[in-house]
Amino acid sequence: MIVEREVMANETAINAPRAIGFWSEAWSRFRRQRLAMTALIFVLFLALIAIFSPAIVGTKPLICRYKDHLYFPAMGYFYEAWENPIFKADGIKNSYPNMKKNDPESWAVWPLLYQDPLRRVKDGEWAGVSGNVRNKSPNRLNLFGTNAWGQDVFAKMVHGTRIALLIGFVSTGIAAVIGIVVGAAAGFFGGWIDWLLSRAIEIMMCIPVLIVMLALISIIEEPTIWHLMVVIGVFGWTGIARLTRAEFLKLKQLEYVTAAKALGFRWPRLIFRHILPNALAPIIVPITFGIAAAILIESTLGFLGIGNPDKTSWGRLLSEGKENLQMWWLIVFPGAAIFLTVLAYNLIGEGIQQSTDPTLKASKH
Amino acid sequence: MQFFRVVPLGVLVGMILGCGTSSDGISSLKEGKPLANASGSDPLDEDKPFVLGDLVPPFDPPSLEQLEEQVAAGGGWVDRPVLDSLKLLRERQAQEPLLASVKEALALRNDSEEDNAKILSALGRLPKDDGDVNYAAQITRATPQALNKQNPLLASSTTEFEVSSLTGFGLFGFDWNFTPYASSDAVTSWRTSKDGLYDKVIMRDDLLWSDGTPITAHDIEFSFKVIMSEMVPVPAQRTGTDAIKCVKAYDNRTLVFFHNEALETNVWNVNFSIIPKHVYENSIAEDPTLSDSDYHVQLEESPVTGGSYEVVKRNQVEILLKRRESAYMFDGKQVRDKPFFETVRLKIMRESSSRLLGLMAGDIDEMMLTPQQWDAQTNSEDFYKRCTKVRGLVWTTFSFQWNANTPFFADPKVRQAMTLAFDHEEMLRVHRKGLDQPCTGTYHPSSRWYPGSGNAVGLRIEPVKQNLEKAKQLLDEAGWVDTDGDGYRDKEINGRRRKFQFTIVMTNLPERIALCELLAENLDLVGVECNVKPLESATLQDKTQKKQFDAAFGGWGTGADPDTSENIWGSGQARNFVNYKNPLVDELFEEGRKLPEARKLWKDLGVWKDPELRAYLEIDPQIAEAKPTREDCYAAIHAVLWRDQPYTWLFCRSAFEGLSKRLRGYNFSPRGIMGYGPGFGSIWVPQTD
Repeated sequence: MIVEREVMANETAINAPRAIGFWSEAWSRFRRQRLAMTALIFVLFLALIAIFSPAIVGTKPLICRYKDHLYFPAMGYFYEAWENPIFKADGIKNSYPNMKKNDPESWAVWPLLYQDPLRRVKDGEWAGVSGNVRNKSPNRLNLFGTNAWGQDVFAKMVHGTRIALLIGFVSTGIAAVIGIVVGAAAGFFGGWIDWLLSRAIEIMMCIPVLIVMLALISIIEEPTIWHLMVVIGVFGWTGIARLTRAEFLKLKQLEYVTAAKALGFRWPRLIFRHILPNALAPIIVPITFGIAAAILIESTLGFLGIGNPDKTSWGRLLSEGKENLQMWWLIVFPGAAIFLTVLAYNLIGEGIQQSTDPTLKASKH
Repeated sequence: MQFFRVVPLGVLVGMILGCGTSSDGISSLKEGKPLANASGSDPLDEDKPFVLGDLVPPFDPPSLEQLEEQVAAGGGWVDRPVLDSLKLLRERQAQEPLLASVKEALALRNDSEEDNAKILSALGRLPKDDGDVNYAAQITRATPQALNKQNPLLASSTTEFEVSSLTGFGLFGFDWNFTPYASSDAVTSWRTSKDGLYDKVIMRDDLLWSDGTPITAHDIEFSFKVIMSEMVPVPAQRTGTDAIKCVKAYDNRTLVFFHNEALETNVWNVNFSIIPKHVYENSIAEDPTLSDSDYHVQLEESPVTGGSYEVVKRNQVEILLKRRESAYMFDGKQVRDKPFFETVRLKIMRESSSRLLGLMAGDIDEMMLTPQQWDAQTNSEDFYKRCTKVRGLVWTTFSFQWNANTPFFADPKVRQAMTLAFDHEEMLRVHRKGLDQPCTGTYHPSSRWYPGSGNAVGLRIEPVKQNLEKAKQLLDEAGWVDTDGDGYRDKEINGRRRKFQFTIVMTNLPERIALCELLAENLDLVGVECNVKPLESATLQDKTQKKQFDAAFGGWGTGADPDTSENIWGSGQARNFVNYKNPLVDELFEEGRKLPEARKLWKDLGVWKDPELRAYLEIDPQIAEAKPTREDCYAAIHAVLWRDQPYTWLFCRSAFEGLSKRLRGYNFSPRGIMGYGPGFGSIWVPQTD
């Protein structure tokens, strides 16, 4: 009998329609929002550009065989030390087409366009192609024109995508980690911990972030883009923390949490395994908006020329445009890129909100 | 009238390191020695009573009769020039052929040297007579900051120097060749004793302060004592002035400067800022800061000035100056030339892009263009509708400056390698748009003290071309080699292996950042990592003055005398930010200051005793028994510095001026169109406009 009952139970389980999970439901809802989907595709497209930027435009071969070894000089665009020092020692760095002179047997796979985001391409670097002329409007060689120092704007834009996306993800990632931990702790433990953390959040919110950021950047001996990311992240977590706290306050009252507690689970398991996954949906929305804000902040700092902005920063290009108002290509392209990227993240954020918020869901159906 | 044509010599050396956004990028400070005092002075004892002129060593000046006897015994007086700088300019222009008519010049586009010369020739002319001038005209210029201090002794920013050159009173000036003279507007005679120890000046008796009190010799004596009072916080004013033993007013008009030594530089030392005695003599003891007490605060609002203009309005937007009638009228008669403008408006504009928009819209009449603006933004019909542009050579040099106190740059070989690794051609062609000359050392090639220009130093200096292989070789020789194969050179210093990695600092202006990035790109190719760190100008100034940097990018304007650069190159001098030490150079500066007869013979000089150096300088061995001229001394300094490369000299910046088409009378000096006599004083607006 017992066996029979078990079999029956199994059968019932098999026959029952599989419940659609929260996330897949949200995804299917998200997919139906045309604007949000377009924005997502745009961001994915940017991500592809960022990853493959050295293959799209650059002056370093993607792969080359030189003196019987295979090298990947283009990786130097990601991290300078990844470009093998042999090229520097042999005097062909920044003039890779000369490789043949040193080693006639060498071969290389080149990026689609021979232009450099960091320097001006000079006459005769690439056989038959003239060097960049400064202040040049968009043309066949320089798709988005050149700046006042003859550097290619298209190359800067493409490689700048990496900076824009990276700054968005890394700084918001930092903000999210801090925000979720602080918010979760405050909401879950309550009492004096909550009081203390909530005051800390309030104090953080009172600090004029941009001014502190400027001060911090000026203190740092050699500010890099990574410092900027950390600074933006460290000051951008309060919104996330408050939302997380609210979600935790709400969720910890629910029966399943009480049940988990009754089962004797300790707090880390309760927080990370049981409550956090259910609290995540509303938190993702400010994270998405945070990415947009971080990109905007980096562009603002680049525009103001504060803390040595990366050579390929879109904001820095824009600030060059400010000095050269007649060179519209220095304003239109980076301006449009910043605008579209920020808009896309905001649309995605809104899309996530629409598809995960039960109240909005209800109103929609 | 020319009070305003007398440029205060306080504005001797322009420092460009820190001042990014000023119209010309030059902040004018007096020579450097006092800066060290300023930062490192002992706290003053609050209870100490104020003693006027306590820094002047005790000296009892002789009576005028005794002095005359002494001077007569020593060979008598030598007359010195008392000039009207406008007259001087008019005489010069009379000799110069007119290359184009005003109409032609106004229709020209400044695309070539020839057109530039034509525009300058036609529009640079002074008015034929007073009838041509629109005396009711206003000129609007841009200035980087608001005005904080009106007292000329306390001036420290570009704007304050600019204002005090319009409102200040002075006895002396210098022309476009840096020839010093006494201004005939203020002085009737200037004589120097044959032994060079005394300067006697007879002032005019029709000079008035803005409150109607006569300007007398006693004001000059008083100002000297104020500058030389420990409790008065004007250390920058003391350089040069402190070489004077005493200033004595024998009566209202007779003034004698007593010098400690007979020096070539005495003609510059006698020129200091002047304040009215009757206004300050009773208040200074109570408030030696000249700015804190109620009385001085009140005075700051409505000061008593002696120049041709006075400030009538000032705020955060603009400074408005009006022509002062009592500066050129006396007893109802005109006794001096009337200044050409009724009002001078200084608008506070920081950004060069907004200045250009202002110039094109007619909001301002004059601005210094950036090379990029000259090259790309001022060629349109839109620009030439209201404005024109001219350029001229100025002795403003830019350089990478290597701090010899760091483990990297103590060795001249390393510094030479830096110079060789840099792509000078790319800089001149792309970054400087082909508009500037390469710079080959501390003095300008067109100056008399440049090696080979008529002096005993025969060395021919050629502009450097990039040579990476040579640079690598020099770095190898200096012990910097890549031992760990990471692509960067390293060296063991004090038992620790150190990577050749340094930071270069500069003002955060795009064109300067780009130039340093070019350096970083070039140095990377020879295995040196250079980080580019732009700084806000005040921070940069602070860091360089405290010598807290590895390398810096910056520049220097020129002083009127080659001796002014001693504070950049002399061992331990205040502006020797790079810690360059060379006793040979110190000796040459000292000799250059002396009168010819007091100078050492060539054979007794350090540079002569080093045969290798002598051969390098290409000095004729025949002149061993001769005395070097002033020019010889400075040319030798130039050549020694070129050998040692404490700086990598980059380019001499041309001055690019954007000007309203209504302006006339502008002419270039090595300090631009303003900083000399007559300078601003020669600019006018024609009646027809």
